[in-house]
Amino acid sequence: MVTREDVENIALLSKLFVPEEELDGLTKSMQEIIDFADTINNAQVTDEGFDSISGLSNVFREDEVIESYSSEEILSNAPEQAENHFLVRNRE
Amino acid sequence: MKYELVAGFETHIELATKTKIFCGCTTEFGGEPNTHCCPVCIGLPGTLPKLNREVVRYAIRAGLAVHGKIADVAKMDRKNYCYPDLAKAYQISQLYAPLIIGGYVELSNGRKIRLHHIHIEEDAGKLIHQHGDTYVDYNRGGVPLIEIVSEPDIRSIDEAKEYVEKLQQVMRYIGISDCKMQEGSMRCDVNISVRPEGSEKFGTRTEIKNMNSITNIAKAMEYEYERQTDLIESGGKVIQETLRYDDATGTTSSMRSKEDAHDYRYFRDPDLVTINVDPQEVEEIKANLPELPADKCRRYIDELLIPEKDAQLLTKYRKISEYFDEACEGVKSAKTVSNFIIGQIFRRTETEADKEIFDVAVSPAQLNELVKLLDSGKIRNNLAKSTLEKMLDSGKGAMEFISESDMGGLDENAMTELCKQAVESNPKAVADYKGGKEKAIKSLVGFVMKNSRGKADAAAAEEKIKEIIG
Repeated sequence: MVTREDVENIALLSKLFVPEEELDGLTKSMQEIIDFADTINNAQVTDEGFDSISGLSNVFREDEVIESYSSEEILSNAPEQAENHFLVRNRE
Repeated sequence: MKYELVAGFETHIELATKTKIFCGCTTEFGGEPNTHCCPVCIGLPGTLPKLNREVVRYAIRAGLAVHGKIADVAKMDRKNYCYPDLAKAYQISQLYAPLIIGGYVELSNGRKIRLHHIHIEEDAGKLIHQHGDTYVDYNRGGVPLIEIVSEPDIRSIDEAKEYVEKLQQVMRYIGISDCKMQEGSMRCDVNISVRPEGSEKFGTRTEIKNMNSITNIAKAMEYEYERQTDLIESGGKVIQETLRYDDATGTTSSMRSKEDAHDYRYFRDPDLVTINVDPQEVEEIKANLPELPADKCRRYIDELLIPEKDAQLLTKYRKISEYFDEACEGVKSAKTVSNFIIGQIFRRTETEADKEIFDVAVSPAQLNELVKLLDSGKIRNNLAKSTLEKMLDSGKGAMEFISESDMGGLDENAMTELCKQAVESNPKAVADYKGGKEKAIKSLVGFVMKNSRGKADAAAAEEKIKEIIG
């Protein structure tokens, strides 16, 4: 069962502000999402299962330097920037 | 009541690979902000990380060097947390199937500090806090790390210091990292608790972060030990929390409040496939490991008969031990070589940084030549010492400073003559000696040594003088 406290905690961990009046609605939605995901547990399976759909292993790259992007390109989608840094404003 | 300290370490070490763990960006330290980055290491949506093969090899090297078991199968997991140093809001790390399991670091008191595991992960970006805002540089983001997690086996601050030093030493020996604490390529978090002496049960622990030198680790642990014991003595309770060490005040302060308590919701990273370790590759890596410092130290003590303290000095840095090994080639006594290095060459490499680089004007082969002249009796110890000083000043070989007449020692007649002179010109010393002052003979021997320019054999001179005095 998803509780109001679960939702509050998830919001906190995700650094999201959730207004008090939305908590009940979100708790209900979250429960529906979990229930939907849970249908997978009803599937009848006989093998031991797997933890990766590709079944691949040992995909590596060699330790060779590839030219990096310019800081202009790297910062081009930043909501805010200053002195070639991403800028994160304190909202508190 | 007396309290026992209990501590365990989490040590992060940046690997000296050329590129980052999941992309081809350089790992070079420094650089203009955000110039060693690409869409993968700044975590843009739709990018696909690909594991650097060398990171796996380096981590296996590290694991073997601390007697760990290399896993057959290892996997990457996501550690979720929301903080600007990680743009993806998760760090790719290992929890459920780390690459190395177990292992230990042996201390000089014979205790083995057990390791829980070693895992590989990506480093986070660097944050600069200014006027309440945060500036983010992702150059360091994605640099490969190993995290070495110890069991809570450490029982004193001295053990803690030695544990960190030993780790640093062995990781430098095997060349996987420069382990510079000041530059952040080696970082330690310590979990510390106290318990009444004799008690089996662990106390509540705190975790201290932000210590950038071994000295600070010791200071922080001392402070925290006192704080916890005082708290318990006065009837209080230690709460489990993360503390930051403040170098300026020498105190620890709370870093994370309770509501931020760890909840990383780890899960398997679907972007990265399973690592199946090839046992043959592990064998190859093992075969290519250099002789480890602990083994080297033991060999110096047992086989070369070097005193333990000296053996530790010689093995502290790989460069010194290699210099010593080379200079010892074919000499009669390795102790002589060791004495020259520790007694004379170390005076020219005073700082730890100098000792680590060990760039000495005299090559190991030149020192070897000098020691062999001594071995063969062609020159005496005093002359060898002064010659080494000249060699260190100039970088020239021994033969530049030793003439034919210096070699071959002193013949019997010349020796007798000099000893007679010594007795004749130092009546006071002779009288003192006869009066029972054993030490007085040394000044007579000194006279002979000086006047033979160090060519005389001191022990033989002493014999001769005693004979003359009667």
